[in-house]
Order: sequence, then C-alpha cells, then structure tokens
Amino acid sequence: MPLEDLRLDAMRCTRCAYCKWIPFDLVKSWRFSKGCPSIEYGKFHSYSAGGRLITALSLLEGRSTVTEKVIDTVFKCTLCGQCDVSCKMCRYDLEPLADMRELRSTLVQDGHELLQLKPVLEGLRTEFNMLGQSKKLRGNWIADLQIKDLTKEKAKIVFHAGCRYSFDGELGHVARTAVKILQKADVDFGIMGKQENCCGGHAYDMGYRQDFRTRADFNLRAWSEAGVDTVITPCSDCYFAFKRLYTAEAGSTIKVIHMVEFVDRLIKAGQLKLTKPVPMTVTYHDPCHLGRQGETYVPWAGVEKKIFGQAVCYEPPRPRYNGAFGIYEPPRDVLKAIPGLELVEMERIKEAGWCCGAGGGASQAYPEFSRWTATERIEEAKSTGAEAIVSACPWCERNFLDATSGNGTNMKVLDIMELVEQAL
Amino acid sequence: MEISRDAYRAIEDIVGPDNVTDDPALLDSYAFEVMAETVRPDQSHFMPRPWAAVLPGSTEEVLAVTRVCNKYKIKLKPISTGWYHWAAPLIDNEPTIQFDLRRMNRILEIDEKNRFAIIEPYVIGAQLQAEVMKRGLNFSIIGAGSSCSVLASACAYSGVGPGAYNMGGNAEALLGQEWVTPGGEIIRTGSLSSGCGWFCSEGPGPSLRGITRGVFGSRGGLGTFTKCAIKLSHYPGPPVMEAQGRLPGYRLPIHENFRVYTIGAPDWDAWANCYHEIYDNRIGYIFHKQFGFAGANIAPAMWLNYIDPTKTLNDVETALKDPEIQKVIEEARISFQFVMAGNSTDDIQLQDKILDAILANTGCYKVKRYCEQDFAEFTNMYMQRLGHKHCNYVWVGGYLGSWMQPGTPDFVKKYAPIAVKTFERDQKSHLLVECGGDALMGPGSPIPGGGQTALEQFVSYDSADRESIKAAIKHMEDAVVDEAANGLPPGKESIYLQVGWPQEKVFDAWAKMPQQFILNFQRKIKAAFDPNNLGDRNYQWLPEGWGQKKPVEAKPTEPPK
Amino acid sequence: METKREELIAIVGAENVADDAQTLESYSRDQSFVAPRKPWFVVRPQNAEEVTALVIWANETGTPLVPVSSGPPHFHGDTVPSLPEAVIVDLSRMKAIKRIDFRNKVAVIEPGVTYSELEPALAKEGLRISRPLLPRINKSVIGSLLERQPTLIPRFNYSMPEPLRACGVVWGTGELAFTGEAGMGPLSLEAQWQAGGVQIDSKGPMSTDLMRLLTGAQGSMGIVIWASIKCELIPSVHKYLFVPGEKLEDLVDFCYQLERLRVGDEVFLLNGAQLATMLGAHSIDMQVLKQDLPNWVVVVGLAGAAYYPKERVEVQEKEVKRLGSEFGVEVLGALPGIPNAEIINAIAACSGEPYWKLKLKGGCQDIFFLTTLDKSTQFVKTMFAVAEALKYPTSDIGVYIQPQHHGVSQHVEFNLPYDPTNLKEVAMVKEIHTKASEALIEQGAYFSRPYGVWADLVYSRDATATRVLRTVKDIVDPRNVLNPGKLCF
Repeated sequence: MPLEDLRLDAMRCTRCAYCKWIPFDLVKSWRFSKGCPSIEYGKFHSYSAGGRLITALSLLEGRSTVTEKVIDTVFKCTLCGQCDVSCKMCRYDLEPLADMRELRSTLVQDGHELLQLKPVLEGLRTEFNMLGQSKKLRGNWIADLQIKDLTKEKAKIVFHAGCRYSFDGELGHVARTAVKILQKADVDFGIMGKQENCCGGHAYDMGYRQDFRTRADFNLRAWSEAGVDTVITPCSDCYFAFKRLYTAEAGSTIKVIHMVEFVDRLIKAGQLKLTKPVPMTVTYHDPCHLGRQGETYVPWAGVEKKIFGQAVCYEPPRPRYNGAFGIYEPPRDVLKAIPGLELVEMERIKEAGWCCGAGGGASQAYPEFSRWTATERIEEAKSTGAEAIVSACPWCERNFLDATSGNGTNMKVLDIMELVEQAL
Repeated sequence: MEISRDAYRAIEDIVGPDNVTDDPALLDSYAFEVMAETVRPDQSHFMPRPWAAVLPGSTEEVLAVTRVCNKYKIKLKPISTGWYHWAAPLIDNEPTIQFDLRRMNRILEIDEKNRFAIIEPYVIGAQLQAEVMKRGLNFSIIGAGSSCSVLASACAYSGVGPGAYNMGGNAEALLGQEWVTPGGEIIRTGSLSSGCGWFCSEGPGPSLRGITRGVFGSRGGLGTFTKCAIKLSHYPGPPVMEAQGRLPGYRLPIHENFRVYTIGAPDWDAWANCYHEIYDNRIGYIFHKQFGFAGANIAPAMWLNYIDPTKTLNDVETALKDPEIQKVIEEARISFQFVMAGNSTDDIQLQDKILDAILANTGCYKVKRYCEQDFAEFTNMYMQRLGHKHCNYVWVGGYLGSWMQPGTPDFVKKYAPIAVKTFERDQKSHLLVECGGDALMGPGSPIPGGGQTALEQFVSYDSADRESIKAAIKHMEDAVVDEAANGLPPGKESIYLQVGWPQEKVFDAWAKMPQQFILNFQRKIKAAFDPNNLGDRNYQWLPEGWGQKKPVEAKPTEPPK
Repeated sequence: METKREELIAIVGAENVADDAQTLESYSRDQSFVAPRKPWFVVRPQNAEEVTALVIWANETGTPLVPVSSGPPHFHGDTVPSLPEAVIVDLSRMKAIKRIDFRNKVAVIEPGVTYSELEPALAKEGLRISRPLLPRINKSVIGSLLERQPTLIPRFNYSMPEPLRACGVVWGTGELAFTGEAGMGPLSLEAQWQAGGVQIDSKGPMSTDLMRLLTGAQGSMGIVIWASIKCELIPSVHKYLFVPGEKLEDLVDFCYQLERLRVGDEVFLLNGAQLATMLGAHSIDMQVLKQDLPNWVVVVGLAGAAYYPKERVEVQEKEVKRLGSEFGVEVLGALPGIPNAEIINAIAACSGEPYWKLKLKGGCQDIFFLTTLDKSTQFVKTMFAVAEALKYPTSDIGVYIQPQHHGVSQHVEFNLPYDPTNLKEVAMVKEIHTKASEALIEQGAYFSRPYGVWADLVYSRDATATRVLRTVKDIVDPRNVLNPGKLCF
C-alpha cells in the first residue's frame, strides 16, 4: 500500500488522542489508564497513532521529509494495537494499526531502515529465525521427545514452536510441555523440526514485507506437502502471523489454533484433567497478538461507499477488527480450571492490556524502550498482589524475564502451559 | 521558518534535548488540528506550524522557557490534550512555540475530607474521576469528554458538561490555581495567593481569578496554567466503574441509588416546560441532550447498532427499514438523557416519584427502548464516564457545531426549530451527512442549579472531501445569516470561522459588539501581563479606538500601550 | 466646596445632596476601629445616569467617592472615607425591584433594595433567596452579596458569590458596562429582556469574570446599579433540626458528612453565646439563655418545595437522623426550652432594632475569615486563648460557622460584644481584634475579605495579589476615585 493510501485516514483523524489511552470506560486509576507505550515514552504527539497519521500526511504533502526523528517516531512502537482498539471505540472507518504498518513498510521500501534491525533481518534471511542463531540449532528444544517429523511423514496438524521457544534456552521447556500435553491428549500431530522456519510476523511488523512473504510461502508450501490443514502454536506472535497475516497476505486457508485454545477445548471436552493443586496467586497478561489482535481474519475486497450523503461505510461490508472478539476467555478458563490457583486481574486486561514491549521490532531496535514498557507491566502485575505474571507468548515472557532480572523483583514469569503441566 | 539556534539551545538547556524538537514532521503533529480544514487555505488540515514543540516538566521549566520566549520575542501557545483548531498557533510565519504539557500529568493531592483535588494540566477527566470515585467523590466531566484535560477546562476553556447542572461546571469547581503569565511571572489565585492552601477560589478582596477566566478562559492565549485545585462532590455510587460487555458499547450496571432514563418530549414547548420543572424540583445528576447529535432521523438506528459489537455502519441503513426502529426514532426525536442519583433508597425513590409527576404534568415520557436495561446501562456508562465523545465524528471524521446560543429553555426552544429547518435545507446538497435537520445536542443546564441551556447543531462532513468541507463552511456562513435574520446572536460557528480570519477582520467583528468594555479591559490586562505580546488572540482584545469613526492604525501584533 | 455642591446638585438635585453636620457625622465613622473621617457631602442618586455622572465628575475633580447601599450601623470600615474631601454615594434611593421572573427564578434589583423589602416581594411570587444570617433591616441585598457575606444554604452555593449573578456597573472610569451574560448583549436590560435574556449566567463576559472583580472590592472597582439574583421556590414545608454538642470537635465529622451529602437547606453552626444573642430580647435574657443552650449547635433547615414537599422533608430528616446515629450526635426537633417559632424567626427574619449583635452590650467587633472545617477548631481555640489572655469574658464570644461553596470553604466568625461607652473595654477589644487577627493569619486563616486592619495584614503578605489588584484597579479606576485607601489601593 503506498503512502497515498493513508491519506484518507490521515485526513479523517480528528486528533482526539483516544489512541493514547485505554478505552476510557475501563479506566480504574490514574496509574493504569495509559494505553500506548510509545507516546508515554516518546512524549511528542508524533509518537501516537494519530501522530503517525499526521506524519504520513505531512510527508505526502511535502511538508516534511524523513529524518532520524521521524524514523524514531515511526519505529519506536510495538504495534500493540491498543490505539486501534481505542480509536475504534467511536470510529468505523479508521484503521490506525494497519496504517502504521503501511507507513513502516513504505519507509523501509524507500530505504529508511533502522540500522539496528539489519542484523536481525540478515539472520532471518540466512538462518530463518529472528534470534540470530544458527538454523542448525533449531529443533534442539525437542531433545529426546518422540514427535512425528513432517519433513518425512504426514499429519493434519503441525505444532509450530516458533523462533523464541526454539532458541531461547530459558523458555524452550514451554514448547516441550506443550508437546507433551498434545501427546497426552493423543493428538496426531507433527513438527517441522530443524526445518521449521520463522513465521515472518516480526519481519512484517518491522516493515519487511518481502521477507515476511518469503517465510510465509515457505511455511505454507512445507505444510501443504505434509498434508497439514491446522497449525497449533504456543507462540502468540506466530499465531497472529498465521491467523491474520498469512490469510490476508498469502491467501492461506490453514486453521490456526493457539496452544491455550487447544488446551481449553481439551479441558472442556474432558480429555484433559487438571487435578493437582497449584496453590499460587497469578495474574494473566493478554498477549497483544492473541488478545486484541487475535480475531479471525475474514478476507475482504471492497470499496468505500457513502450512505446518508457522506457517512462512510463499505461495499461489501468490511469486517471490523477492534479487539471485541480477541482470545481472552480460553486462557482464563484454563487458569480457572487449575485447582488451587487464584487468578487476580490487572486493571488493563483483554482488549485494554498494556503491551509487554517486545513487539514491532522494539525489543531488537529499542531495548531501553522495550524494557521500560515491560517494567510498567510488571509494576501493574505487582499491584495485584500476584506472585506470578502468566502469559501465553514467549516474547512477552522473555521481556518480562529481562525486566525482572537483577533488580530484586520477586515476580515470577510463567507460561500457562507450565501451570497446566503442574496441574496434570 | 526556523527558531533561532540561540533560543532553541536556551530551551534545550532548560528542558533537556529530549523534550524539545523543531523537526518539521513532529511540529506538524501540533499544526494538524480538527477543523483546520474549515479555515485554512485549500482546506488544509494544518494550522500554522509552531517553530518548536516543548515539553516542560514543571512550573519552573514553564517559567524559564517563558522567559526565553520573552527575550527572543517568540509567541507561546500551551496545550494539554488539545482538541480544536484554536489549540494550534493561529498566524502563519509568526515565531511560536507550542508547549505540550503532557509531562505535567500528576494528581498532586486528593483531600477527601475537604473535597478537592490538586492537579497538573495533563490529568484527564477519566483519570481524575477514577481516582476520586475510589473515595466516593466525583466532579463534572466536560461535554468534550473524559479524554480532556480537567485543568484546561477549569482555567482556560469552558468547563461545562452534563454534570454541571448538579455539581457545577469546572468554572464553579475551580479553587486555587497557579498561572505562569506570558510576561514571565507566577501568579497564584484565591487562598493559594495568600499562602492559605488551595481550598478557595475567591479573594483576597476582589477575586484574582476574575481576570483569568469568565464564561471561558484564555484558551492558551494568555500564558500557561500549571496547577489547579478542583472542588469535588459526593458520589453515591460504587468506588470503581466496572464496565461490562464488549466494546464499543460497554455497559455500566445501574447502582441501586441511581436511575438512568431517556426522556422524550412531544414538542419543544413540552421540552422547555420539562426542563423548568426539573430545575424547580432540583432532581437530576447528569442531564444532557446527548444521543440526538447523530441526527434525530437516524440516531436511534445508529445507537442501537452501536451497542452490538457485531455491527458496522452498513447495518444502520438496514436497521432504518425496521418499523420498530422507526417507532423509536419518532419517540426519541426530541429527547434527552437524565441520570438521577440519590443518597439513599428513599431519596432515589422519591426522585423517581417527582420525575413521574413532572412527566405527567408536561406531557413528556420515558423513551421505552432507550430505558430498557441494555441501553440504559450503556447510557449509564456513556453519560457518567463520557468516554465516547469521539463518537461526535462517528459518521466520517468531520464534525462542527453551530448555533448553541445559550439561554433559557424558552429562548432555546425558539431557535431550535429554525436550526432544524435550516440544517435540513443545507443537507439537500448531499455534501453533509443527511441525518435529518435535528442533530441538536446540549447540556440540561451548563450553569449549576438550572436556568440555562443551549443546543448545538452537529454538522457531520467528510474532512477528506473538499466539497464536503466547503459545504460545512457554507453551513456555518449560512448559520450566521440565518441567525441574524431571526434576530439571534451569532452561534458557535462564528467562533470557529473567526479562527481563519485575518486579525483585522476579527477586530472589525468584535468592534461591532454592543459593549466594548470587556475588550478594552482585556487589552489592558494583556498589556500588563503579556507586555511582549506572546499570547495569541484566543485571549480577545481590541486595539484602542478600533471601529470608531477616526481611522486607527492597526498594529495587530502589538497591544497598544 | 461651594462649586462642588453646585455641581453635585446639578447631577442629583438639591434635595439629594446633604452636607449638614449631623449627616456627615453619621457617615464619618462606623462600629469598626477604622479611623473616622468626615466626608464633605452625601449624595443620593436615583438612577444609572446620575451615578455615571457622579463618577465622571469624580474623575474630573479628583474626588473620592464612597459607595454605600445599606443603612447603618456599618461594621467593617469600608463605608468610612479613607481620604479627605470624599463624597458618600448613598444608593438607598435606588430601590427598584426591576423584575421578578418566576419562570426563570431570577430577580433584578437595584442596590438600595434591602432584604426586608425584597423578601416579601419575592414571597408574593412564591420565591425566596438564600440569605445571610439575621441581616439588619436596612441591609442592601446587593451590598451583602457583593461583599460575599455568607448565605445560609450551602447546597445552593455552587460558587461563593451565589446567588449573585450579573450586574450593571458604573466602573471607576465612568463607563457603564454589564457583567456576566449581560455583558454580551445590548446595554439595556429592557432590550435584553425583549430578546429573551434573563441575566442568569454570572460568568463573563468573555475571558473575564467581571462580577468577581466587584466582589470583596468594598466599592473600589465600580458602583453596581443593578444586579440579578438567583431565586428559589418558597418551601411549603419547612422545619428545623438542631444537633447540639458539648465541644465543637464533637460536631465536625457530622457536619462534614452532612455538607458532603448536601442534605438540608440552611446549615450552619453556632455556639451557645451566639444563639443566645440572636434569641434574647435584652442582655439579661441572653445571659440566662446562654446557660440553658448547648455549647454548640448545628442548625439544619429542611425544606420541601415543588412536588412532594412533605416527603422531601421526611427523607431528609431520616438522613439527618441516620447521620446523627453514625456520628454519635443527637438530632433534636427543638432546643429545650426554646419555642421553635423564636428560632425560626431568628433565622428567617431580619434583625429587629437594635441590630442583634449590639443588643448584648451596645457594641460588637467581628473577626471572620475562611478556612476548612478541620482547622476551625484550632482557630476557635486561638481566638479564645487571645481573648482570655486579655481578660475578655470568653463566654460572651459568639461563634458562627457557615459552610460555603458546598462546604469546601467555611466562614468562621467571632463576634465580640463590648460596651462602646467603656473606654477600657474599647481598648481591650481593639487589642484583642488586632492580636487575634495576627495570630489567626499566622496560623493560616484566610482573610478573604480584608477590611480595615486586615488589609495590611493580608496584602503585606501577598505581593502577587497586591500587584494584580492594583493592575485591575488601574484599568477600571485609573484615577482611584472609588473608595481609595481600601484594600491595597
């Protein structure tokens, strides 16, 4: 989408600044009312979604050029989508999150790349992962587990661990736990093992559409050859990539299930019984890509039309992604099914969840900003009195681990699968 | 045009390099303002660009930067949440810096016992309300909603909203305040001036605050307000608003001490009578003609659609074909939202009885569908938190208000039908949203205790379409003519239009005001507190002798001595 | 002087210019300790044109004008000229009740209209206004409101100047201009009424609250020639409850909650001495009463107007009693031994003659200021300590605490009766007044209405207010003809 395609949204932005906050109806305190890490950190209006729309318009009208400062405002953002939710509280026609992604993509195409991200993309292109590790090490997390190898056999379900679980030594056990749960439930599934490739989602968010597409095409082809029609993943970023981006950008029809959704179904179907008490007070962090960005993508090709003279709608009606139907309840239902576990909620949850700080390339390009964002979330978790912050995404967990290490914070960082395993 | 390097460096030394910028794209994020397209050449969305944007973190930094501005003769324009074209600089090529006050965002103190909160400029309504409600307190959130700065509305803008009738608007709620004048001094008003704390806005002797705001404040045109205290009122509801359901139509269960109604009137006479009886009977907590802004012909379809998270605006068209929806449209044609709050069950039950007596006496009624639980709970959420005010732009991103002359209900009921008829006429161009002529919204009473109301016509236009913008401008210009033809003073639209006028034209218009005293007074106040003319004409003044028979040399950027 | 007399006669007519010794003497001093000074003339204008002409004349001749709208006795020194050759502008002839608008609950009156005149006129129309405590019979309504004298009904006090709304003003420059919403319309009330305006919004015009610059100004900014006043419906059911307390501290929490909930119409606190002075017909009567009355009492008026008046009172009474239980205080329907009618008369009527504060000993000095309720107890202790140290009979000190601005501000007032013919008592009370004022201001009492000696106490500590007020004064009264020497002018 060229920058010109942002013009309408930019001109219809009203600078209401809702994009800076969680939906106001949900505000319960001064401290936890903010929605956008980028504006909280960067402060100038350009660091908000509305501000970026204005930047696009300013560039389009030749009023300004892309400077270091502009790049900073565009990229110092986790693309968490809180702005999108809040904007769409009152607007049916604006797509701030999609617009911000387009802006990034345009800048990258025009050669305005972040130097910090270059090695990351290099790693993706040569080693097929986002952590700059050798592709030979991918699959090491499997260790001694006996799992069907879809490079050799076929199955309808592929378990996709994702780069973070595959290469992050501290977190790999979660993928192992997830696999064991699937095995316990007698699910017929396989993995791509060393051939598993990055989903490409982060590359997309960083503005590298082609790199994303390369990964997507590869994965879809590999799965097709393996007879896969469903992908299960414990990583919310991969989940989003497969469910939304692959469908929208690569025409994928693959069913996509997050591990936590799957476990929820198993529990409700009586196929998984959680009997061992886990006496702990936890709070749940909604990953952006599972929560508000986890809604099902419905392909749409249409045009804007006007009704009542000037009111904007679409022909055919355009699906609305505003976080109303994100994946919020399954993880909570899973936690509630664990005996002895007490779930206490933070103020900003579900569609209003504060970002962990890892997304959009922020943890790679702006580690201080990313760390600060995570620390804010940890503070919110502490305010609940919980012993642990639980999530369903390794990128969130990594950022929280980094934010809590070495500063005397007692807050544990856990994945839902770990708690499920303890309850089995 | 560029700020001088010396000035920039001086400011950088005060606030730090991260808190000042002169990057053009970043500056454009301040130049861009809603309604700019109605006053700028070629319907540009950009007001004049500031020469730098500065983020001060304290009163001391505000003061220091103000002094730099005095030295280098740079105008300054403070904004907090900022949401109107007049928040941006007004004059092209005039050296101006924009203060973005977002770093000054603390609630400094909540004195629960004595019922006031001390706040900085970037505390928004939602934040303050959430914190004070924990303590069983509340205040009136302004009509522009809870995304807006409370301090700005109290010190520098208007401060009226649906809760003003019961709790007082933010003008009445304003207690002590701290003001950095454009001339570079700190002035504290009321009891604060005398070192006696924040609790009182009057005195000592004549109330100093009399020069900082009247029916509205200086709107960024006379310096920077850096702290203020707001009086709080008792809140008989729960300490936390637990919103239920899915967005966007969150619902707030109705507490046993509350009632939430939409009241309909068969005609404007009954509407006016109902308002008077409400005033006389002293019931009501939140009182606002709100939902009709979307256009009486289609608003119910829009709102009932809105609370369904599976629906889009496409579905509004479909909904209009439903005879049940048409019934609601007729019932709600002239209607307003009315929330009552009681200290006890007895209290609220009595208020219910009184309301029923008022309705029986005036021929007004409860709008059935809107009073059903789902919509009533949505109304409750909407009206108490006012977090959906961006819905003003729901149709297509452009909205402006016209008419809205304040007056008694009897005064307003006379112009309402005229506003309706003329708006119907204007919609025939198909260049404005065709919502029917009645898209009127307004507070039950912006002055506490009742006695006055006002109705604003909500004109929705496509801010990305030149012809639609032009139609919106034409509507405003025609409204001025329609008002004059009906012996009415100009409405809100004239304030909007004036933002785009050259200085001389503005002075000419003000010179026609029947009483000039205030403009001359304000000129002299400006000369005293803004000797280097750093504030813009959001603070209104008239050059001496302007508009009188003898020609006067216009020095638009310098106040006469 | 002769020329001046002729010029004044030309403006107001011979019968309205007085310079006989007795008249001049009566305006040269008041009950306060402000130094007496004789004016040269007392003039009594009839209308805005005459007032305007007077102000213009004052500017031309450099003559101080002292506006007075209430009849005597005056108490605060604001009507005593500070400079020589002053002319008293006695507005008591301007007695028109220009309009009573029942529908919009607004009355428009001239400055000479007193409570004893306005209230019956309003009552005829079924209206009333929130009034001060037991005003004297010749007290000007506008005068009282302009000086921010506290009114009895906190729940109507959305801002402190209430129920004052807009004003017509002859400013110190001689210009006539209106305040509030009236400042935006034509310079004629009739024209504004014709267009549907009712002068109900006090704010403005534009970015200035001109009315607020007139309040607390002691007539030094402009002369108000009309004002609009917000009225209320007369209740058809009205009763009073009394909440006694041994100590003031016993009543504070109850008062906090009562005022927070906005229960009741009239709400105020008196000590026994104050109540006795209000109720007693003569000194002995008061001394006897003091022994029987509680040390402190909160008076709560419950009023029902419009629909369901009886039920309104019942609901409120229930609430007051509930609060009484919650805070461990008694709620009584009457004070033992005192017929309610007497109390109601004391609250709802105007003072008889002599003015009630003077009944005990013939003279009275007031000390009053604003504070928050939690600090009031400390200030009472301070006042009593100063009085006791100087051997004043503290049992005579009347205390009146009036919640204002919905209870966020509290007017705390001490009345010190004394015999003005007894030189020793005069000296003692003067010393108490000075010492107590200094002690109170040191402790943070907010003298928002700085009369007499308080002006120096306040403005010497508040350079900013001094600067701002002088700036305003320079604009609206550049020749300082209006009551010069008051405040910081």
